Amino acid sequence: MWAKFINIILGLWLIVAPSILGYTTAASDNGHIVGPIIITFSTISLWEATDNVRKWNYPFGLWLLLSPFVLGYELPFAIASDIVVGIAVLVLSSINITFKNRYGGGWSSLWKKNPDHSKEEFN
Amino acid sequence: MQKTTEHIPPGWDYNPATWSQRIPIVVLALIGFGIATYLSLYQLDYIDTVWEPFFGDGSVTILNSKISHVLPIPDAALGAFGYLVDAVAGVIGGTARWRKMPWIVIVFGLAVGPLGFVSVMLVVFQPVLFSAWCSLCLASAIISIAMIGPAMDEMLASLQYIQRAKKSGASTWKVFWGIRTEVEKVK
Repeated sequence: MWAKFINIILGLWLIVAPSILGYTTAASDNGHIVGPIIITFSTISLWEATDNVRKWNYPFGLWLLLSPFVLGYELPFAIASDIVVGIAVLVLSSINITFKNRYGGGWSSLWKKNPDHSKEEFN
Repeated sequence: MQKTTEHIPPGWDYNPATWSQRIPIVVLALIGFGIATYLSLYQLDYIDTVWEPFFGDGSVTILNSKISHVLPIPDAALGAFGYLVDAVAGVIGGTARWRKMPWIVIVFGLAVGPLGFVSVMLVVFQPVLFSAWCSLCLASAIISIAMIGPAMDEMLASLQYIQRAKKSGASTWKVFWGIRTEVEKVK
């Protein structure tokens, strides 16, 4: 839970940092696009049944590590900020939580031949 | 049916279709509907000014932008309709609707998901395309994102139920619509 809240705050930081620190256009647009996406996935993953959505942050965390160089950021602080946020998002999004409830095998059960929810012991 | 425990899906610890699960989502949808209706009244020129506490003329810029009028009806009106679908789909059916009326649960899930997606896209457009922010549009986006997580557990229960229907040889289509004779075949 706490890891997801920190990710939400990091997403907010990506959105507000450009105006606080005076980023150039590429860095600013990048923050304004990636920030809302990370906030969205982290918020959805706050619930147990959709906990896996936190992993959808991986490509965007990775992109934050690469984007300063791909997009040619000028401000050293913008480069440092995106890299630090990228690493933090990658680490925080990979933290497992202990589930309080069972979900009949979860979403992956939908692709299984003998899913948990149709096993004998539940009938 | 007698007790709520009877409606707990197999392999679950709780029933995702209880009112305590659904009412908060319906309340969020109604708040979203209120905000979107207010914004669409501005976009349709029924009111002249729009409330904007933080970003100066940001709301005016966003609500009059080309993107918001790309469709025949303004985007806020479409949003209002989406929230209304969410609220209605959240209310219909009893506490066993994940297996008695899978269709409404799926409609509910499908309405909540894309609405959230579109909201996030609109949030991205604001600064990137128009260098402006709109407070109430952001509030609406937060509401639609907050609805996705809690709505999905019920959808999962319904999808698992349909999967069991298929395994027991019942007609998936009829089970989806909750036809009783077919529902009885599901083990």
